[in-house]
Parts: sequence; C-alpha cells; structure tokens
Amino acid sequence: MANAYVEMGLSAPVNVTWEVTYGCNLACVHCLSDAGRRRKGELNTEQCRRVIDTLADQKVFQFNIGGGEPLMRPDFLDLMDYAHAKGMVTCISTNGTLIDETVAARLDHKLVYIQVSLDGATPASNDPIRGDGSFAKAIQALECLRRRDIEVSINTVLTRLSFPELDRLVALAADFGAKLRVSRFRPSGRGKRSWLQLNLSRDQMIAFSRWLSEHLGVSTGDSFFSVSTEERRQLGLNMCGAGKMTCCISPEGYVYPCAFLQDSEFVAGKLPEEDFAQIWHSAAVFATFRSLEIKSCESCHRFDLCHGGCPAIAYHTQRKLGLPDPQCLVNCVTVKKTAAGRPR
Amino acid sequence: MGSNKRFILSDGVQVRREVFGLLFYNYRGPRLFFVPTRGLIDSSFFNGRQTVDDLVAGIHERHGWPASWIEDRIVFLMAQLEAKGLVNGQCVC
Repeated sequence: MANAYVEMGLSAPVNVTWEVTYGCNLACVHCLSDAGRRRKGELNTEQCRRVIDTLADQKVFQFNIGGGEPLMRPDFLDLMDYAHAKGMVTCISTNGTLIDETVAARLDHKLVYIQVSLDGATPASNDPIRGDGSFAKAIQALECLRRRDIEVSINTVLTRLSFPELDRLVALAADFGAKLRVSRFRPSGRGKRSWLQLNLSRDQMIAFSRWLSEHLGVSTGDSFFSVSTEERRQLGLNMCGAGKMTCCISPEGYVYPCAFLQDSEFVAGKLPEEDFAQIWHSAAVFATFRSLEIKSCESCHRFDLCHGGCPAIAYHTQRKLGLPDPQCLVNCVTVKKTAAGRPR
Repeated sequence: MGSNKRFILSDGVQVRREVFGLLFYNYRGPRLFFVPTRGLIDSSFFNGRQTVDDLVAGIHERHGWPASWIEDRIVFLMAQLEAKGLVNGQCVC
C-alpha cells in the first residue's frame, strides 16, 4: 500500500543522499564515486549551510551522508551540528579511519546514525579491497562509537570477495551491538573497472537471495529487491525510490535521482543556486524516473516483489533506462536452468 | 481514550502533510508510516495546541459530517498512532 502513496507523488524526498566531498584517505576498489582527492567546485561551508536550510524548509527528514570520506572535510562536524539543530536526522557513512574518541564525542547526538564500512570480517579479507590497515582503524572506530552507545551498523558492499564473509560480518556486527547492512555493488565510479572481477556470479546471487531470506535482521536499504524473497516483503518498499522518495546531491551541488546515476544526462538541477522545490517537482529527469516502466518485467510472477529491479544497474550494464535489472532472480534462475540443461 | 486529549509527536518522530494525508517518520524505525487522512488533519495538529474535540469540531464545521462519527474515527486513528509509538496523548484536565 505504501507504494501506492509514493506513486501519488511526495511533496519532498523522504531522505537525500548527500556526498559532501570526493576527498578520501582510502582507495577502495569498488568506490562508486571514484573518490580520492577533494575536487575543485565542491560546495563551501556557506553553500552547504544553504543546502541544509533548503532541505529543512522542505521537511526532508533525513540526510544520508557519504562521499568520499565525509570526515575529510574540516567543516564536516560543524555542518552536522547545523543540520541537527534543524531537526534533521543524519545517517553518516564513513570508513571509520578518522573516528577517535574526540570525533566520537562530537558525533554523539540522538539524531546521528553511523555506518562504518567493512568488506570483510578480518584484515586478510577486508584490506585487499579497502586498503592496508583499514580493518584495524574501522574496528577502533566501532569501539569508540560503542563506548558512547552511538547507533551504528557495519556496511558491506556485496562482492565476490565479501559474499563468503557475510556470516562472519553478522557476528562481528553483533559484537559491537550493531547490525549488518549489505549494499549493492554497482558498476559506477571505480566499480566500473572492478565490475567484472568483483560482481557476484549467478550462483552466488541465488545463494545470497536465500541467505537474505534467512537473515531478516540484516538490512539492505538499497535495491536488492531484484533478489528479494517473500520473507522480506514487509521489510521495506519493494521498488526503486529514485526521484520518488529520494535523490542525491553531489559534492558540487548537482542533484541526481540517485547516487549511482551521477552522469551528466541525469542532472536535475544545482544547489544552492536553484530552488530545490522547483527541481523536485519539475525536473524532467525526475519525471522520467516517476513514469519509468520496465515493460518486459510486467508479466513476470516476481514483478510485485521487485518492479524490475535497479534502473542504475540496468543503465550501467546496458546503457539504457527501462530495461530489466540484469541480476534479477528469475533471470539468474533461468540462466542457471539453461546452463544445466535440465528444467526443474 | 477521552476526546479532550491533545497529541504531540514522540521523541524522534516527524510528520508532514502529503497528497494522501500524513507521512510520519520515526528515526528509531520502522521509519515511515503512511496515514491516508486526506486533508482532514494538518500536521500542525501534533504540536499539541488543539484537542481532539477542537479537531472534530473543525471537521464537522467544514464538512457537516456527524460529530460522533468523526470522533470515533479520530480516536481510533490516534490509538493506532499511539500504539505505534508515533504520538503521545495528554489529557487536558
């Protein structure tokens, strides 16, 4: 039923993903933003405050803050204080390497939720993806956050390397009183270059779908509905929220339908100089996403569960919107049947 | 539940008006709750200045529906919202 209300059109996004900088002190092989150095044109402090003002006025409930590594911005904690003073919830995705006791104290606010990224449950499995020493620093961050009882989760990008680690990551998260959140790997940013090497095999994707259905406490948050099963139906919306419930702001202030579609053809507007309400209600690219129909999926028995899956993955792998998610569970199963040469 | 109650949002809950009615957001989760109130209840009702009696009287005046019928539905809705931890009722004594 919630889907029907969303389809009626919301007055503003429920949450906005805001990548506040391209700066990052790691160089993860799957980074969707191709982050590294801060870039010319990133919004300055005053411009960021104006973005926060605008979205607070529009009653956007939550910022999902990412980057880059948000804490690479010297003004980051001040900006979060500014957002919290306006009642906005902030969910901060961080690699954890810059969180010590002092930073944890600044982040200790009832409106803060933190996701610490780990792609393996040991240095041996995590560090080849995220960089030498990154596991130990992330664990230190988790310990600092736990001491302050700050709500936290471990965020893992699902790849061929992290897939075998999922059970251990659930256990590791539990050690810190946290949940595991699994994010989808997409061929954007550096993910384009590592896609073929790291993308899940079909058998792994089918196994992951089964695993998800058995681990209802694991959150996904973004677009695993293409492999979602009946058991998870009640856990969230089963459709893409891009341009309907959410959008993304880049470090330069460009507004996109989602964090995984930051190509020039998807620019909806630019903040803070343009009016956000006008962008949200009138941008052509948002209208496209609100009316996007994956026609070839509509007769599928799983359509009610996935609505065609993630348009971003379809776009990056096939350079066109309106096509089915290539990692659709039915497709996975169909291909498997063909390969095995025997229908079930 | 008496109809002379006022309701305020629980800690961590926000609400805004939408085409279908009211959209509640609870940062402690589950995060979203869609309430199809149409235009009958404004999000400002939850700032605690109006009682249910005030709200019922206003709707009755605007639409002419029986006050007891409106009250039953409002009381039922507020009980649902309270049960979900989204609002807190305070009796006006």
